[in-house]
Amino acid sequence: MDFEQRNELTETLRLSVDCLRDLNLYNATKWCSEALTGLRPLTNQEAHSVYLRSKNPQRGNLPEVLPELSQQEEMLLFLERDKITLAQSYFNTKEFARSAHVLKDCKSAKGLFVRLYSTFLNGEKIKGDQGEGILTGKDGVAPNPKVSEISGELEAYCSADRLTDPFLLYLYGVIQMKQGDISQARESLYRSLVHFPYNWSCWEQLGSTFKTFDEALTMIERFEKNHRFSSSRNYGTMLLFFKVFINQSFFQQSEDVYQDIEFLLEIFPNFSFLKIQKALISYNSMDYPTAEHAFDDVLVNDPFRLDDLDAFSNILYVMEKKSKLAFLAQFASAIDKFRPETCCIVANYYSLKFQHEKAIMYYKRALSLNKNCLSAWTLMGHEFVELKNSHAAIESYRRAVDTNNKDFRAWYGLGQAYEVLDMHLYSLYYYQRACALKPQDQRMWQALANCYERLGGAEESIKAYKKALAISEADSNILYKIAMLYESLNDVKNSVVYMKLTLAEEVNEGVSDETAKARLWLAKFEAANNNWPMVYRYASEMNEGSAHDIEEARTLAREARVKMKSS
Amino acid sequence: MSTNSPNNSTLTISPFVRGQKKKDFYATPPNVLLPHQSSNSKMFSTPSSQNSSLKFETGLAEDPPLTQADRLRLWRHDAFFQHHYTTAEYVGDKVLSLTNDPNDAFWLAQIYYATGNYIGARTLLMGPDFEDSIACRYLAGQCLIKLEEWDEALDIIGDVNPFKTDHSTNKNLDGGIKLEASMCYLRGVIFSRQNDFERAKECFQEAVLVDAKCFEAFDELIKNNLLTPKEEWSLLNSLHYEDADINGDLVKLLYTTRLNKYVNMPSFEEAESRLREEYNLGNNADILLSRANLLFVQCKFQQCLLICEELMERNSTNFSAIPLYLSCLHELGGKNKLFLIAHELADNHPNHHVTWLAIGIYYFSIKKIGEARAFFSKASTVSPNFGPAWIGFAHTFAAESEHEQAISAYATASRLFPGSHLPNMFLGMQYLQMNNLSLADEYLSSAFSICPNDPLLLNELGVVYYHRGSLENAEQYFLRAVTAAKNLSADSKVWTSVNSNLGHVYRRMDMYGKALQCFKKVLKVSNRDVNTYTALGLVYLKMRDLTQAIEVLHTALGISSTNRVASDLLKRALEQGSGDSKDFFGKTERLGRLVQQPVGGLVTETPLNRNKGNRISSSGVNSEYAIDVMVDNLKKGAESSDEEDVMEIESD
Repeated sequence: MDFEQRNELTETLRLSVDCLRDLNLYNATKWCSEALTGLRPLTNQEAHSVYLRSKNPQRGNLPEVLPELSQQEEMLLFLERDKITLAQSYFNTKEFARSAHVLKDCKSAKGLFVRLYSTFLNGEKIKGDQGEGILTGKDGVAPNPKVSEISGELEAYCSADRLTDPFLLYLYGVIQMKQGDISQARESLYRSLVHFPYNWSCWEQLGSTFKTFDEALTMIERFEKNHRFSSSRNYGTMLLFFKVFINQSFFQQSEDVYQDIEFLLEIFPNFSFLKIQKALISYNSMDYPTAEHAFDDVLVNDPFRLDDLDAFSNILYVMEKKSKLAFLAQFASAIDKFRPETCCIVANYYSLKFQHEKAIMYYKRALSLNKNCLSAWTLMGHEFVELKNSHAAIESYRRAVDTNNKDFRAWYGLGQAYEVLDMHLYSLYYYQRACALKPQDQRMWQALANCYERLGGAEESIKAYKKALAISEADSNILYKIAMLYESLNDVKNSVVYMKLTLAEEVNEGVSDETAKARLWLAKFEAANNNWPMVYRYASEMNEGSAHDIEEARTLAREARVKMKSS
Repeated sequence: MSTNSPNNSTLTISPFVRGQKKKDFYATPPNVLLPHQSSNSKMFSTPSSQNSSLKFETGLAEDPPLTQADRLRLWRHDAFFQHHYTTAEYVGDKVLSLTNDPNDAFWLAQIYYATGNYIGARTLLMGPDFEDSIACRYLAGQCLIKLEEWDEALDIIGDVNPFKTDHSTNKNLDGGIKLEASMCYLRGVIFSRQNDFERAKECFQEAVLVDAKCFEAFDELIKNNLLTPKEEWSLLNSLHYEDADINGDLVKLLYTTRLNKYVNMPSFEEAESRLREEYNLGNNADILLSRANLLFVQCKFQQCLLICEELMERNSTNFSAIPLYLSCLHELGGKNKLFLIAHELADNHPNHHVTWLAIGIYYFSIKKIGEARAFFSKASTVSPNFGPAWIGFAHTFAAESEHEQAISAYATASRLFPGSHLPNMFLGMQYLQMNNLSLADEYLSSAFSICPNDPLLLNELGVVYYHRGSLENAEQYFLRAVTAAKNLSADSKVWTSVNSNLGHVYRRMDMYGKALQCFKKVLKVSNRDVNTYTALGLVYLKMRDLTQAIEVLHTALGISSTNRVASDLLKRALEQGSGDSKDFFGKTERLGRLVQQPVGGLVTETPLNRNKGNRISSSGVNSEYAIDVMVDNLKKGAESSDEEDVMEIESD
């Protein structure tokens, strides 16, 4: 990326930050400014030339980030600017209802946005105040009471003239999501991004509309076909961020993703968001050390950043690095005790120490700080499983998938919880959902196969086991299961094949229960076919297994010897 | 023309005549009518050529000297209007003793009446000396009504109009209200207090027909919905507006705005705009109130509330607007404002029935049914003909599913207001809940004949047809209800239940696409409703879209894990779905190949399709379950509307 291009990107991001800040879209502003400072630092010479250029600004050289306003709109904005400023100052002091009231007669798009956004947040606040604590009777039942009002206004505005204001479109998308109208929401968010792609919150919201990776890919293709994204370099960069984000959240780990990240890291070498995405992708592909290293790196450069650190604690949990997790917990508590991320980290720490009640308490605290805390619901579900409280676990997992339907752990957890309750049909459905999200994970297929088996679906079970085999190294356990299933189907031929495959695994894995059982089975099978030398071979090699099995093998071997002699 | 004529008003016998030319406003002109020509003390002063008001001016010009009695009369009159009742009574008594004139007796009785001494007034007026004076008879009637001596009052006034002639010929020229009309009105009041509403209605109608200026009677007719909408319009067209001289046109327009808002909307709009433009009355409280009434009927509660609030701001004692304001607040959930207004009313007007109504509505909206009932009943004790209180009273029983008592209370309300569709509609709803379809149909249909546009009513009718298995009719009604409810805010219960009922109809008509649309529309508004999700799941099941069905049913159970219908449907879906697993494998391989297994017999297996029509006859465990499912689904409509009748409280 040459100097001019970099300059243009800088200017664009800078203008976008102003736009976003002006509308109180705090998170998007944060993201955008982080990106701005995450750019490759300038050399002295470059810095000098940029400075000189800023001294003599050439009008018209500035890039356009927002669609141009109509004359009428400009006029409205001019007339309403003082009211909007007043409303925004109320907004900043969190007096949302008051802010909305100030603007009640405003007609401009910006006035409308500030008013509706305030109304929305006001509704969220009312909704939050109604809750009675995590996992109690009324928890999460209350909807945002303002949603239909806002949706009505936007609909009316929409029909009056085609809605093109990117921020109103964004808000509309958010509202439609709340109303469960996913496809319309996706459309609104798409249109918003076409007009203004620097609103990261909008990309994230768009990401949450996808249920499957296919849907996400279709949308990305649609963006790629849009001429704005194909022609503008800056638009393309934003799309690339989105691609990385989508791949990460759907647990994809193809080569392309790494390439995309590297490409972006070249432009934004100091952008923590990117590094975290990279770390998360490593985490998803179970490459824990790399992920840990990446997080360490982020913490060194940005020591007070708590965002995403709960994922870091998950990594440490899986790696069972108890002391480092303890350090992280203390570290985060010192920065801010009452951040949901901090609470999750502390909870993870307690969970690793088997103090499940305490862990649950901290997860609940995290959730009361932020109801949409993605990982806390799932992790709390795990804790309830540990405590054998299946119903509470199910409730937690359910809330987890409500907040983020891409969390395969929660789907899997639901499957497990129902399995404990002997409700296999339910389990099956949830395992299917989990599996659809993470088809590259052997555990999913195994769980699924097990479930089919319980339900008497031997054929499906075999299929699922074969899937599991296809994506991992051979496993005597799975092979033996398949063989047994074939036996239950009276498919002796296949059964034999898989028993032999199981036995062959002895070379890689050493002798295990399954190989021993397979050997005994084969011995019996050959006995039934009067193939006594083979019986003898299998039976005499039987040195491990349960006492009963070994005894049976010896009997067989003796019988084979007799038969061989007599023949 | 005699002064003692039913065609005159009391203006004719008043000692002062207002509106004299260029005189000081307070200077009471001498009465030219009373100077004694009284050769006859029994019959009141014979008519003279000066009798008509038109001749006052000429009479004045002559300015005859005042007699002693005239001076005393003026003194009495002024004292009366300055509320110096003791003076007035004292002087009036002296005049009467001097003249023994029935008119002086009338005015003395007025003074008694004004001081609340009804018995005194009656004793005075009913002496044999004054029997022949119509004005005296009228006032005696008033007194007896105040004393609640209904039969005696009828004796005095006569139980039919004794002056019945052709009204158009006998014009009243003095600008006041014909005594004949006033007496008709009194007769109406007596009959209505005797619960003889049919005759009361006739009397009131006669009163307005005798003199269009008798607004009292017109107001009674309209306020209490004694006439059906069509009768109201025909009455309006048969009135003699020339009674009001040059104001005839104005009166007609004003009356037009008072009529019901169910039919003849263009006339109303025209009258309103003419009042606004020609008479500059657009901001008058009553015109605004009628606009508010219209908005209420159209279910535009928010706008209606704005107008009501403006009216209340101007005059917080606008008792005709308060009931409407209360209903709006209830409708929009303004509990806090209800609380405030109830308190204000109780502080300022502790004896007014609207006060007790306000308190009742407040308690009703915070779901304290017992208290609400007590206050509604108090309101109806204070004013037995006050319908909103009766409806509220009935609602309290309905809210506790005490159908019998609710029905008897609604029935009282319906007797009180034959012209309002509400009592009949609520009666119909009660019968519907008691599963008495034929009675429900009857009442709802009679409500429908009065008001064909109420979304709640259309919804209930739809439910009746749905229960009867007449799906096409049900669809028609629900569609009309959807149109009628389009002004409702989508949050309102009626809106949701109409739409989801329509969804159920389409589901049973096997029009799954349309059904899906309806349910999704409902979900957009309230996405935490188990029943809607369950219904949606069932539709997907019937469409053999198992994946969707399973997902939706899971969501339903996620909201309420104990819902039996949802969990049973889910079991079915999963059983079907597990046999359909190739689908799943296919998808995960992303081959884009959708394996559609023919799932035979699914449609016939869902419990909802079984014996819809004759639920009563079905028995046994399985079919009992079918009933459960169905009732659950159906109740949705009935139930949500049941809660809704709360909303509809006294929208008259």
